[in-house]
Amino acid sequence: MAEIRAEEPASTISKTFLIKPKLKSKPRSLPQTPESKYWSSFKSTKIPNLVSSISSLSFSPSPPHLFATAYSTSVSLFSPLSLSDGDVSPSSTISSFSDVVSSIAFRNDGLLLAASDLSGLIQVFDVKTRTPLRRLRSHTRPVRFVKYPVLDKLHLLSGGDDAVVKFWDVAGESLVLDLMGHKDYVRCSDCSPVSPDLFVTGSYDHTVKVWDVRVENSRSVLEVNHGKPVEDVIYLPSGGLIATAGGNSVKLWDLIGGGRMVYSMESHNKTVTSICVGRVRKENDGAESMEDRILSVGLDGYMKVFDFGNMKVTHSMRFPAPLMSVSFSPDCRTRVIGTSNGIIFAGRRKGKENVESGRVGNVLGFESISEPERRVLRPTYFRYFHRGQSEKPTEGDYLVMRNKKIKLAEHDKLLKKFRHKDALVSVLSRKNRENVVAVMEELVARKKLLKCVSNLDSDELGLLLTFLSKNATMPRYSSLLMGLTKKVIETRVEDIRNSDALKGHIRNLKRSIEEELRIQHSLQEIQDLGTSRASLVNLFRGLGNIHLPSLQTSLTPAALLTSASLILMFGNKSRMVFVNFF
Amino acid sequence: MMRGGRSLVSSPPAFSNDAKKLLVCTSNTVSVFSTVTGLLITSLEGHTALVTSVIVVPPSNPAAKVLCYCWTASLDGTIRYWDFSLPELMKTIDIRMPIFSMVIPSFLDVPAEENGKHQDLFAYVSIEDTKETQERTKASRRQIRKCNLSKSRLVGRLILGETRKPEVLTVSPSGKFFGIRNKCKLHIWKVLDQGSERAAVRKITLHHTKKITVIAFHPTQRIIAAGDVTGRILTWRGFGNRAFAASNGVADQKLINVQEDKPGVRDNDDADSCSTWHWHSAEVNVLSFSSDGSYLYSGGKEGVLVVWQLDTGKKKFLPRIGSPLLYFIDSPDPTLSSISCADNQIHLLKMPSMGILKTISGIKAPCFYPDIYEGLGNGIAFDQTAGIVAVRTENYCIQFYSLFDDRGVSEVQVCERNHQPGDDVIVTSVALSIDGSLMSTSEVKLAEEGIGGLVCLKFWDAGSQNKEFSLSTIVYEPHRDAGISAVKFHPSGNMVVSSSFGGDFKVWKCNHDVIQNDQMRQNFSWTCHSVGSYKKKPMTAAAFSADGSVLAVAAETLITLWNPYKNVLLAVLGETLTPIVNLSFVGKSDNLVAASCGSNPQLSVWNMSKLSVSWSYKLHIEAVASAVDLSSFAALVLLPESSKKTTFKGMDGVILLFNATDPVPTVIWSVRKAKGGALCFVQVNPSSVEEISIDGKAPEVLLAYMNGDHEYVLFDPYCKDAREVSVSQKEGLAAHDHKGQAGQYGYASIYGELPEFDRKRPEAPWVPSFPSDRPWETIFSGSSHNLPPLTKLCSAFLESLLEKRTAAAE
Repeated sequence: MAEIRAEEPASTISKTFLIKPKLKSKPRSLPQTPESKYWSSFKSTKIPNLVSSISSLSFSPSPPHLFATAYSTSVSLFSPLSLSDGDVSPSSTISSFSDVVSSIAFRNDGLLLAASDLSGLIQVFDVKTRTPLRRLRSHTRPVRFVKYPVLDKLHLLSGGDDAVVKFWDVAGESLVLDLMGHKDYVRCSDCSPVSPDLFVTGSYDHTVKVWDVRVENSRSVLEVNHGKPVEDVIYLPSGGLIATAGGNSVKLWDLIGGGRMVYSMESHNKTVTSICVGRVRKENDGAESMEDRILSVGLDGYMKVFDFGNMKVTHSMRFPAPLMSVSFSPDCRTRVIGTSNGIIFAGRRKGKENVESGRVGNVLGFESISEPERRVLRPTYFRYFHRGQSEKPTEGDYLVMRNKKIKLAEHDKLLKKFRHKDALVSVLSRKNRENVVAVMEELVARKKLLKCVSNLDSDELGLLLTFLSKNATMPRYSSLLMGLTKKVIETRVEDIRNSDALKGHIRNLKRSIEEELRIQHSLQEIQDLGTSRASLVNLFRGLGNIHLPSLQTSLTPAALLTSASLILMFGNKSRMVFVNFF
Repeated sequence: MMRGGRSLVSSPPAFSNDAKKLLVCTSNTVSVFSTVTGLLITSLEGHTALVTSVIVVPPSNPAAKVLCYCWTASLDGTIRYWDFSLPELMKTIDIRMPIFSMVIPSFLDVPAEENGKHQDLFAYVSIEDTKETQERTKASRRQIRKCNLSKSRLVGRLILGETRKPEVLTVSPSGKFFGIRNKCKLHIWKVLDQGSERAAVRKITLHHTKKITVIAFHPTQRIIAAGDVTGRILTWRGFGNRAFAASNGVADQKLINVQEDKPGVRDNDDADSCSTWHWHSAEVNVLSFSSDGSYLYSGGKEGVLVVWQLDTGKKKFLPRIGSPLLYFIDSPDPTLSSISCADNQIHLLKMPSMGILKTISGIKAPCFYPDIYEGLGNGIAFDQTAGIVAVRTENYCIQFYSLFDDRGVSEVQVCERNHQPGDDVIVTSVALSIDGSLMSTSEVKLAEEGIGGLVCLKFWDAGSQNKEFSLSTIVYEPHRDAGISAVKFHPSGNMVVSSSFGGDFKVWKCNHDVIQNDQMRQNFSWTCHSVGSYKKKPMTAAAFSADGSVLAVAAETLITLWNPYKNVLLAVLGETLTPIVNLSFVGKSDNLVAASCGSNPQLSVWNMSKLSVSWSYKLHIEAVASAVDLSSFAALVLLPESSKKTTFKGMDGVILLFNATDPVPTVIWSVRKAKGGALCFVQVNPSSVEEISIDGKAPEVLLAYMNGDHEYVLFDPYCKDAREVSVSQKEGLAAHDHKGQAGQYGYASIYGELPEFDRKRPEAPWVPSFPSDRPWETIFSGSSHNLPPLTKLCSAFLESLLEKRTAAAE
């Protein structure tokens, strides 16, 4: 490790202090865990204006991991790469559907896409050309899901409202198996990541059935009861566990252990509509590893991240609409969430890592394209003079730290030279009101503010009055600025009378103070009502927007009185009533 | 008894000949600091009053550089001669008149004793003649006299000059001239070569129109520089050509030629020319020529050291030293010099670059504010366990000062602004938690004609390792616009009460969460836990009981007792005549001490179990201290004007030690400068027990008294007769550092230090026959065939004798 040494202590003993505004109180927030930091690092992009509910989302297993969205009667393909550039238009759209598309599935090489619609038709498209290659029709009722087996390119699985799960041979457009057993709509299924023959389906009859196509009598090999209509089911990457979503809960089942429930996660407030497997990067003792999580979305607008290793919800994220579908890209860089009102919230992480979620071996990615070659530095380039500056220190190097340079603003420099009026004018022309107030406070500490005010010429006075008319009624600054306004008007009354421009400023000031008085008056009325009738207070509290502590802070009696006396000074007799009122 | 906190800047310091040590006058003693580490090495103790001058005897030849002799003069009327390396007093000359300043010009002229004839060494002293009060007017009692140091007496009735005020003598580096300032005049004397007693010393006078504040002589040429109150620096060249040269027999004719053009010289002064430089805006306090005479250093109230190139008048600056400069001293080492500042700091400068190498930090002086703000405490807080005092300084800092080590530990900038004299920002109070890890400060910005006032309450926490305080929470206007009267920590440290004149008090609670990023870091944040008020009366003082279950808040003349956790009023205690300013629970006992001030001051002790007053006195209390686990308390009492003159000579305060149940004080000490003083019981922590002992045994607590000038004394309040506290300095640390920097000579410079001689080997009991402590008694006893060989016996015998000798020496 390179040794870091401070430079020889500077010859100054006392430090230079900048004129800083008062600190604002920060909202107290819980410290971020590394995991929630990870999930927050997905830079969110909104894809708006898709016509209706996003019924299904699916990522292509092959890079660059396009994702397909099913909404209304069309399917759109988006490129995650263009998303990070802020481009939210679909790269291509398939719209050869006669009814609402219910489900889509990519084949494991990402070349084919199967889509089902509510008319009962299943179509298989070539992803590149978007031409329908096969049309599978056998369902009599709307099809709710279509799935490609993970390890099989030839077959297809579908199910729908006719309570029948069908196993298709895609090439021959023929039905292989009809799997009967569900007593209500079949809504979802997932294929085992470890076997081409096993899959699981979930239905509104509260049951989840595990099927094996090798079983002769077309009966399910295992059945578990979720207890609520099942909305989604997935295999966890090991192939031995499944997760089912239904009602407000997500349940974990151990298939190898004979369908034993492992855990029930019940942190959603409304129906969980979709779940998928996500991955999070963990650093354990310096070694990076990936851990799997379950991402669940629900109609309550929350996405929850569930760590099924520790059985804990590790992150929770709120979206402004009921959520219908979620998907996580195999390279762990994109997660997309579809809402019921046609908006997709796509999140994309920066980073170069090309981690596959283990289903498909990846060979080539866009990231591996080499960067453009760096140009040789010549003395005519600007960078030539910076060469070597980004060099990292090697072990044993002495790193000499230079004392941090303090950047002085213009008003700081002027205040150091005791040019108080110039400092005030300089900061007034900068339009940063916090700094203006800070400089005014510093001048008060030096007992020079009123002298500055009396020395301002008419233009500068106009500047000051503009500032005061804008900010004097702000509760944060009113204790200082109200008093100052009064003093300014008292001391400079002659100049103001002689100048029309200044009179205009005074009119603005008067107007803003009148408005503030009106607001305070109405607030006071609300408070009076509240104090007399406790039920009304509860009503206001219930409204949520007005809460009483903020009322009290804005109603500082000093500010009220000064504003009232200001009004008096302008000769507005009708406002006397407020003084009495307070 | 441990004293400390003394001023390091009462008189100019002096460097030793090898520039490794700096001798600083610290009231009655001279402290010797190492210039490399900035730590105290030793101190010369013997004077009984303020030491005003210290002069290191310059080496007569290069070999004598290692000699460490110095002369000191003091207000007690003695001149003493020391060897400060040991340290040892060599000689005392009593002239029985307070000495304000002393110079010894003629060291170089004193020939070495080898030629057989010893010449007397003369000093010139600025004294006050205390004897002849009746005959002479007071104006002329301050005299410049000559003193024969070799014969230990003043030289006859030779009075060189008389001044109205005690003036500081300045000697030229060559030892030929010395001078004083006297209002608008400069008096310069020429020292005659022959050191005969009666030799008349010639004097010239130079005139100026402004009051002169400081003078300096050029090391080689006849140039004298003087600074005045307006900030001008005047340089006279070729002064005294006429008067002084005449004695040397130079023709008068030449002088007349010189006389014709004397640019800038006033009247008929004896100088060739006079030039003026003006940069300083206020009076010049520091003026010094560099050792080669080509530069002139000047400084003053601005805290800026200006370096003038003498020939061209070009300037260089060392800005922002932060405090008015008082002295600039060159060392024999050309790369080292020191500046003394008015805030009791001595900075050691690395010379050509003028960077600050080390700072010898004394306790900073109390800052005085105009009496406009009520509730201004004395700004002193004690850390009882670590023996550290936190004092408020003028530049909005809190200085932490170690009472045991007598040096500054650190400084915390409370208010982020540079100090300007006219500013009305005041750090009003400082409070430390019992373990010293948390601090709370309050500051007030006074309003300008009713607008813009601000009260701030700040909470600080100390990092675990480096003890540097960092700001954790700022509360703006904690009690609206009302000022804070007191801030006190709960014994557990996670609660603070602040009481205000606005009629309420607030209890603040600390929430701390541990942030675990790269290193463990605790994040403290303070929030208001509860607010209380009693009949809208101003709350003037507050205190927590020792177990923290009761909070006492004084509502002007009443004492209200609260449960701090639930904010419930428990009881209200009777009434005093004037508002209470200080509340304190007495240790673990159920007694509460209240002190009120004003026209009817009162010290009253309240019994918590009976909720009534036990006893009270009509005394003006400045401070009250009670130890955590004792049933007694100490009170610092300001004496009324009438009794000051009669009973206590010059003492204006007494410290009374009470047992809480007994109205008769157990012990009384009288003290000086009690106004603005502070008291505290300081626990002696076990690690430093071996350093502090009274008659061989270590005390459990010491009472610290700090007076209005921030000088302090530590003593054991329960030790009846023995008042002497022997403190063994941390010699190891200072001495080791000193050894490390003292240049290596001869063998060591080539081959490095010899390895430590292994003493264990000879002590190994290879002669089994003498296990006794006194081997010489038994070593030869026994039959001869049992005795070891004589060679071995002999060395053991001699060794035992040697051991005996060292034991006796100790």
